[in-house]
Amino acid sequence: MQIDPVCGMEVDPGNAAGSYEYKGTTYYFCSTGCLEDFREDPESYLR
Amino acid sequence: MAQQTRVKELQFDVSGMTCGSCVQRVEKTLLKQPGVLECRVNLATGEATVRLAEEAAPFEALRDAVRARGYDLAIHRDRPDDPDRREERAWLRRVWVAWPLSAVVMLLSTVAMDADWARVTAFVLATPVQFWAGWPFLVGAARRARRLSADMDTLIALGTLTAYGYSVWALFAGEDLYFDTAALIVSFLLLGKYLETRARGRASEAMKRLLELGAKEAHVVRGGREFLMLVDQVKVGDLVRVRPGEKIPTDGVVEEGGSTVDESMLTGESVPVEKVAGDQVTGATVNLDGTLLVRTTRIGADTALAQIVKLVSEAQSNKAPIQRLADRIAGVFVPIVIGIAAVTALAWFVATGDARDAIVPAIAVLIIACPCAMGLATPAAVMVGTGRGAQLGVLIRGGEVLEQSRRIDIVVFDKTGTLTEGRMQLVDVVGEEGALARAAAAEASSEHPIARAVVDGAAERGVAALTASGFRAVSGLGVRASVEGEGVVVGRRSFLEREGCEVPDWLAQDTSRIEAEGKTVFLVGWGDKARAALAVADTLKQNSGETVRTLRAMGVEVVMITGDNRSTAEAIGREAGIDRVLAEVLPEQKVGEVRRLQEEGNVVAMVGDGINDGPALAQADLGIAIGTGADVAIEASDLTLMSGDPRGVVTAIQLSRRTYRTIVQNLFWAFGYNVALIPLAAAGLLNPILAGAAMAFSSVSVVSNSLRLRRFPN
Repeated sequence: MQIDPVCGMEVDPGNAAGSYEYKGTTYYFCSTGCLEDFREDPESYLR
Repeated sequence: MAQQTRVKELQFDVSGMTCGSCVQRVEKTLLKQPGVLECRVNLATGEATVRLAEEAAPFEALRDAVRARGYDLAIHRDRPDDPDRREERAWLRRVWVAWPLSAVVMLLSTVAMDADWARVTAFVLATPVQFWAGWPFLVGAARRARRLSADMDTLIALGTLTAYGYSVWALFAGEDLYFDTAALIVSFLLLGKYLETRARGRASEAMKRLLELGAKEAHVVRGGREFLMLVDQVKVGDLVRVRPGEKIPTDGVVEEGGSTVDESMLTGESVPVEKVAGDQVTGATVNLDGTLLVRTTRIGADTALAQIVKLVSEAQSNKAPIQRLADRIAGVFVPIVIGIAAVTALAWFVATGDARDAIVPAIAVLIIACPCAMGLATPAAVMVGTGRGAQLGVLIRGGEVLEQSRRIDIVVFDKTGTLTEGRMQLVDVVGEEGALARAAAAEASSEHPIARAVVDGAAERGVAALTASGFRAVSGLGVRASVEGEGVVVGRRSFLEREGCEVPDWLAQDTSRIEAEGKTVFLVGWGDKARAALAVADTLKQNSGETVRTLRAMGVEVVMITGDNRSTAEAIGREAGIDRVLAEVLPEQKVGEVRRLQEEGNVVAMVGDGINDGPALAQADLGIAIGTGADVAIEASDLTLMSGDPRGVVTAIQLSRRTYRTIVQNLFWAFGYNVALIPLAAAGLLNPILAGAAMAFSSVSVVSNSLRLRRFPN
């Protein structure tokens, strides 16, 4: 189980709505909305 | 002058949302659209409530904007999965089909009885009423018949099928038609059924509302960041942050922070409870003034709230179904009517030797025996009775309750909050002058319920206020403060002795005397000496004694149930005039005590206000909740009193009895006219006009008799 960095939900990578690689780490998302928010400004979700 | 714009509120269904961030995205998107003034999106239900100015963007524009963010928006539809609503609508549909058709059939039968076209039209119109609209009655009757028993459905099916079948034959034989009788009976009964489902207590809805008392969302702290998520997503061991004004999402232990928590929805106790690190908190209670960091210990079906909901629904489903009075009467009536019809046929056959002359009067007996007002008798009385109850502050949840409550012979009161005020009050001051003023000053800054009782008591007695400083509280024991420059100690005897105050013998004696009355006593001392005793107690409500006396006079036994120790409980019981007191009963044992009373053969009403009364309220034959108490208690009960006045219990029981009596009278009127016509039918003198008159008179009698309930208690 991975944690969606935008909303904190637990996400099964196999079932994720999307994934995004940033600085060598793959992040998984519960919804495309979360993925887009992350893509716009990854740093604000990784502090 | 500000321009007046008309605002409309719309409900939408939003799909595709998975988390708290989705909610915020949808809200933000909608708010950006022109004319959207306000917007609330609920993740749990997938619903959006939007307030729109008149010249707002059309629905399609809102939908497209939401779609662009990866979600979908639709006009809100009522959930079709609510079985009660669906049943209600199904009956309503049948009512709408049956009534116009029946009206036409009746009109045709009265104005054009001999014309062939009218006779055929009546047949065509009565057929769907009989077999489509009336289908549920036929099914019900068939089910009963397989078990060789009879109820209202049997009587309806028997009467209408006979009337219909005979009329089909009569159509060709050129005899009198009874299509209008068949159609109107079905119509009246459908109307009754519809009214009943509409007024019925929605048990399933009550359960849903109970669970909705819980929080929907939680702020979960994971990896040092805080996420808003659905309560379902919270795991045991998660840390959740609860801010002031928020509901605690699930059961847990406070890890950090401190606050007071309003647990009244759970306990009915109005005084907020202090919570610090290490204390247990319960889901669905409300955090008032501080921020708490809570480590969750139980989630979902394991939480205290879910457990109580489960207990309540178990108690509700374990209740023996009440056989409705109308069904009981019909069960006896049907075989008698069939018997009379058989005897009629036999007698005519013996007398005339002709089969046709024997069968026609027998059929007439079956037709006239089915009273069309029978189906209205109960719902009409229940509707008027519940309406009158609402005016008097008694909310009644359905007709079965009213039929049951007339037999009540025991009323169990949960003490706190029903018979008593549910809060501490200063009741006794013994000893030196000035003790109360000093105690009130020393306690002034404390939030403890007992301290509040002392401060309020001093104010009520007009004691002049003194100023205190150097306040020091020792948890559970007492306080020490400097009042007007003098050291004052207030607290338990052991605390005063520890603080160096000597307790004189006379004061020690007074203390034990007052304690024996079930009150909480503490001492006030200054100058190394205890000088006075103050007593606080939960006092009886003003009308409790009167209520108990009235119930007794009505032939109802009164029992008090409480978790208090025996001496306190008996003292209060004596004061209220109750001699059967069940003391030291733990909350979870209350339901067992109610069951025990029921097993002794009693019909039990239970009056309570706390969530811990929920299961007992559901178990009781009549559960009466005090409206000022916990939401859970209200949901679990059959009856709710809007005010905290215990006299409402008397009103409720009297109204129930009166409503029941009205139902009995209604059934008498409904059956009366038809029974009176049975001999005529057996004599072969029945005609459609007589049958129609019986229907009209009995319906009018039933409705006008029910309306008399509006004048209750006169």
